[in-house]
Amino acid sequence: MTLYLLIYFIIIMGAVVAVISKKLINSAIMLALLSIGVSILLFAYNAPWAAVFELSVCAGLITVLFVSAVSLVKHDEENIKENRVKYVLLPLLLIGFIISASIIVPEYFSKLQIFSTYNTQKEEPIGKLIWLYRGVDIIGQLTLLASSVFVIKHIFFKRKEADNGGKI
Amino acid sequence: MIYNFPIDWFFISILFFIGAYCMVVSKNIIKLLIGFEIISKSALIAVITAGLATNNINLAQNIIIVMILVEAVVIASGLALVVKYYRLNQSIDITKIINLKG
Amino acid sequence: MVTDFLSYSLIPLCSALAIPFISRKSRRITEILANVTLLSGLINVGYIILHYIIKMDYSSFTFDAFTLLMIFTIYLVGLAVVFFSTYYEVENDTNSNSYYSLILISVSAMCSLVMSRDFFTLYIFMEAISVCSFALITSSNSKNSIEASIKYFFLTFPASVLIIFGISILMLNYGSFDFDTIKFTNINFLTVIALSMIIIGFLIKSGIAPFHFWTPDVYQGSYSPISAYLAGIVTKIGGIYAIIKISQILYNSGATYKISALLLFTGMLSVLIGAFGAMVQKDFKRMLAYSSISQMGYIILATATFSPLGIFAAVFHLVNHATFKTVLFLNSACVEKNTGTTNMEELKGLEKKMPYTSWTSVIALLSTAGVPPLSGFWSKVLIIIALWQSGNKYYAVIALIASILTLAYFMIMQKKVFFGKLSEKLTEVKEAKFQLLIPVITISIIIILSGIFFNRVYFYLEKIIM
Repeated sequence: MTLYLLIYFIIIMGAVVAVISKKLINSAIMLALLSIGVSILLFAYNAPWAAVFELSVCAGLITVLFVSAVSLVKHDEENIKENRVKYVLLPLLLIGFIISASIIVPEYFSKLQIFSTYNTQKEEPIGKLIWLYRGVDIIGQLTLLASSVFVIKHIFFKRKEADNGGKI
Repeated sequence: MIYNFPIDWFFISILFFIGAYCMVVSKNIIKLLIGFEIISKSALIAVITAGLATNNINLAQNIIIVMILVEAVVIASGLALVVKYYRLNQSIDITKIINLKG
Repeated sequence: MVTDFLSYSLIPLCSALAIPFISRKSRRITEILANVTLLSGLINVGYIILHYIIKMDYSSFTFDAFTLLMIFTIYLVGLAVVFFSTYYEVENDTNSNSYYSLILISVSAMCSLVMSRDFFTLYIFMEAISVCSFALITSSNSKNSIEASIKYFFLTFPASVLIIFGISILMLNYGSFDFDTIKFTNINFLTVIALSMIIIGFLIKSGIAPFHFWTPDVYQGSYSPISAYLAGIVTKIGGIYAIIKISQILYNSGATYKISALLLFTGMLSVLIGAFGAMVQKDFKRMLAYSSISQMGYIILATATFSPLGIFAAVFHLVNHATFKTVLFLNSACVEKNTGTTNMEELKGLEKKMPYTSWTSVIALLSTAGVPPLSGFWSKVLIIIALWQSGNKYYAVIALIASILTLAYFMIMQKKVFFGKLSEKLTEVKEAKFQLLIPVITISIIIILSGIFFNRVYFYLEKIIM
């Protein structure tokens, strides 16, 4: 149990620091820490495949994307007048939320757990499940990947007249 | 295996709260995306707990793999949009998006 | 997933992937490929449907009627938009490769979505559609379109998290999320929570009243043919379809009154907000956006009855709305191209200069307002009857009054834009190109014919609820 609480502590800390940190690059790195925490959690919950995907895609690829985007728009970071009070307020609000949630949430969800139908059948192996029973998802993933390629191409397309201003 | 469903959902609600707070208060568009990412993570943990509670973890893993892909696609295209917006307007402040109104 | 119609989604996907390779140099090849792909699909599915509608003999009908009708609508609107955009802007549009590929991919994703038989498949394809459409919004490359796209992104993507929470609760409850599992198992308190979350998520995606903040901005700011595409089909398949499906799953189980109350309220709210919002708008496209919200409210009201007649009416109104809203938005695109503005105060008396655009708009708006014998009349009558029969008499009265409001605001619009004296600035305006009028006139003919031969269409639609 201590292990789980420790993992959750890493996740929550990562999230909080990602939100309150001043520099965007720190936020992106903290997001990676959060992802690593989630990945360890998935591993501990006996879901190794999902953990590997989480580690490689969310902690790896998405962090790289965030860092490169941040470095592309870095110029503006100081110009935004953020109200820092709102961010400093977050830990205080969070403590309040945790206290109130610890009264309501666990009790409520332990009631909900009664509804859960326990799967008595033998579980299918993951490979069979992915390729045979949920083969539809493969088409969905193909569609998504194709769309993402064309989305990036479409958004970053350079026209001859680069900017046609305030045209509706 | 030690596994506690209510505690999981307690932490999921906390994570959701942090992400939602980030999406509500920040003015920076990239900060908004970070908030969205945190909320997505809480949804991901919700799926794995549902899989554990029903002894159907492989189905949950399958869903999570697809969800991660969806997340990567959405974040990548969102960041592309932000960079494009920055090139046109020299700003990533969400409160300056007020041109369109009736 | 229904695998009978898989080719309808795979062929557009393949030709979308082929476009960048075979048409490096020539823009014309891209356009021909996109048009031919969609046209062949439309002829194929149209033949199946018309064959039964003309013969009125359903003894050999073994298809899923709902899916088939949705695929027909998707291909119809998709082809209209693709054909329109090939002639809409000839110069300054060199990224046609990714533009047509994105439209084809989203057609493919929509066809896969209507074939899906569980909530998670619905979710994946819904995401694919949203990703495609927010890139398509930026097509005109102006500041406004990027702004509209960012609004669309941040106001709709949180919905997907809600849908995932709903799916995880369904998993907890049943161990699976198939439509059939939910249909044939007892419904308890947890199902209602999960389905409400999924419904709210899809309502946000479709831009219905409490979540309508993005709709007018996006329709106003985006590239004009894409406004027609979004309003005509994307918000319906990506949003409303799932709600109709849930209604279809649940209609013979008892415990639906809570979901029903939620849907009735949002439906009524969006009918009224849409109707009153449309009256005060000054921008043509913005007004059409509010009208779209109002008409989507009717579909929601019809699904909220959870009765066979309600589902019947909702499906028919969805198809009707897809047709007439496409006509109106494409006409607004023509007006914008020829006059350079969509502000209604600057436009006046265009009827003399653009007669075809004007009269097709009249047909579409009369159908929207529910004037017999056009198709919109039958679906609105059916919606009101369904509401009355299920005991929601006040809502039926509100729906009736709001349909008069619809007629009122469209009359105001028509008077401002098309009728009256021609303003001096617009004396040089010409009628839109003949090619731009083809999709509009074709869809107008479909509106008239499906209204006149409603008795034949009725027998087809009956198959949906059986």
